[in-house]
Amino acid sequence: MGYDASRADPGTAWPVGTALRRVLPVASVILVLLGLWEGSKLLFDFSDQRLPHLAALVEAMFTPTQGGTGPLLLVQMLVNAWATFRIALGGFLLGTLLGFGLAGLFLRVSVLERGLMPYVIGSQTVPILAIAPMVIVGFGRLGAAPWAAKVLVSTYLSFFPVTIGMLRGLRAVSPQSLDLMRSYAASSTQTFWKLRLPSALPFLFTSLKIAASASVIGAIVAELSAGPREGLGVMILDAAQSYNSRPPALYLAILAAGLVGVTFYSLVALAEHLVVGTRRAE
Amino acid sequence: MSIVPIIEFDRVSKIYPSGSGPITALHEVSLRIAAGEFIALIGPSGCGKTTLMRLIGDLEQPSAGTVRVKAKSPDQARRDRDYGIVFQSPVLYAWRTICKNVELPLELMGYPRQQRHERAMSLLRLVGLGDFSQAYPHQLSGGMQQRAAIARALSFAPSILLMDEPFGALDEITRERLQLELLSIWAESDPRPTVIFVTHSIPEAVFLADRVVVLSPRPGRVQRIIEVNLPRPRAFETREDPRFFTLLTEVRECLRAMEG
Repeated sequence: MGYDASRADPGTAWPVGTALRRVLPVASVILVLLGLWEGSKLLFDFSDQRLPHLAALVEAMFTPTQGGTGPLLLVQMLVNAWATFRIALGGFLLGTLLGFGLAGLFLRVSVLERGLMPYVIGSQTVPILAIAPMVIVGFGRLGAAPWAAKVLVSTYLSFFPVTIGMLRGLRAVSPQSLDLMRSYAASSTQTFWKLRLPSALPFLFTSLKIAASASVIGAIVAELSAGPREGLGVMILDAAQSYNSRPPALYLAILAAGLVGVTFYSLVALAEHLVVGTRRAE
Repeated sequence: MSIVPIIEFDRVSKIYPSGSGPITALHEVSLRIAAGEFIALIGPSGCGKTTLMRLIGDLEQPSAGTVRVKAKSPDQARRDRDYGIVFQSPVLYAWRTICKNVELPLELMGYPRQQRHERAMSLLRLVGLGDFSQAYPHQLSGGMQQRAAIARALSFAPSILLMDEPFGALDEITRERLQLELLSIWAESDPRPTVIFVTHSIPEAVFLADRVVVLSPRPGRVQRIIEVNLPRPRAFETREDPRFFTLLTEVRECLRAMEG
C-alpha cells in the first residue's frame, strides 16, 4: 500500500551529496560565464574600452570614489543597492497588497473584472519610462516624500503579475471541492480562506517571483527620473555618462542591479519553500 | 412502503440547456427512500443517476417537481448539515494532512479543536488509517485516499450519505475490500445513515444495497426497483450465494431490456 518513505522525505540520505549537487551547477555556470567573458575578449580582440578585463572590474571595486576621497566603489555600490532594494521592497509589498485586493474584488464582483481588467492590462502597455517622471514630478508637487513616489512607480510594475496570478489561482479550484464546501454549508468567507486561498498559493508564488523582479526594475527606473541622488538607477546613469573614462563602473552597476534582483527573487523562493514546500499535486 | 420516507421525489424532472437544444436528464422521477436504507442507483452512462444524487444534495435544482428531504427542502437539509458526500475522486486538500482533511467539516462547523481532533482520529482508526493521520494525501494510495474521504464524510455524523461512484477509480481487489468496510461502518453507525450510492457496477449495486434503483437511458426515468433480499451482514461469501447471481441476472436483464 502506497506509503512511500523515499518519496515522503527526499534528499536527506546524502546531505553532503545534495549540497554538492546544488552548488555544482551554479559554480560551473559562473565559471563558464567568466571563461566566455575572457575568451571572447581574446577571440574577438575586444578592447578594454568595449569589454574590460575581469581583473579590472575587481580592481575598480576596491578603488576609492570621488577621486580618492570617497568610500570604495564596492561600498558605494552596496549602499546604493540597499537603497534600491528598500524602494523595491516597498513597491513589492504595496503591489502585492493591491494585487490581492484587486483579485479578491474581481473574484467577488465579476462585473468589476469586466470593467476594470482592460485598464489593468492597459496600464502595463504604457512604457514605465514615460510614467515614472510624471509620477515623481506629480507627487513632488503634492509634497509627498521622494521615496514614496519611487515606491509607487515600483508598485505600478509589481501589482500586475500578482493580480493576474492570484485571480487565476483563486479560480483554479475543482468544481468538486466547491461542491464539498457547499455540502458543509460553508460561508463564502470560509470557502475563501480554507479552500481558494490555500489552493491559489502555488500560482501566487509564481506571480510573486515575477513581481519581485519587476519591482526592482520599477525602483531603478524611478531613481533615473528624479529625487535624491541615490540608488542603483543613479549609479547606472552616472557610470554610463563616465563610461569613456571608467568602463568597469557601468558593468559593476549592472552586476549590482542583477544581484539585487536575484536576491529578491531568492527571498520569495525561500518563502515559497517554507509555505508550500510540503505539498504536492493531488 | 408505509413508513415516512426520508427522501421523496415527486415527478422530478431536470432539463439542461445546451447548444443543440435542451437535454432532459431526468423525466418525472418519483421515488421514496426510507431512513437507514442503502440505495444503489444504477443505469447506463448519461442516464442521470449522478444528477439524481446531486438533486438530493442541493448541488442542482430540479426543473420541475419537488424533492423533499426529511420533510424539508434539500437546501434546508444542506444548511442543517444532513449530507456527507463522497465523490469518485477523493478531493482531499493537498495542503492538509489526512487528519486535518477529516477535521475540515468539523472546523467549518465550529467544533472545538480537541473534540474535532479526537473525532477525526477515531474515524481514521475506523477506516484503518490510524497510522497515517499525519501523512499528506499524495503519500497515500488511491484506496487509502478514498478511505480518508469516507472518514471525512462521516466526521459530522450526517443522516444521509451521498456517494457518487466512490470506488469507481479503484482496482477490483481494493474495491471489494472497501465495499465490505463500508457495509460494516454503515451497520455499526447508530443511527444508520441513509446511503445513496451511485454506481455502474452491477455486482457492486447488488452486494451493497437494500434496493437497486435501475434508471433508463436518457431521459432518465425509474425503470425498475429491485429488492435485494440477501441477508446482512454481507460477507465475501455473499458473492458466491446463488441468490446473489439471480439478482445480478435480474439487474442485467433489466438494463439489457432497455437497450433494445
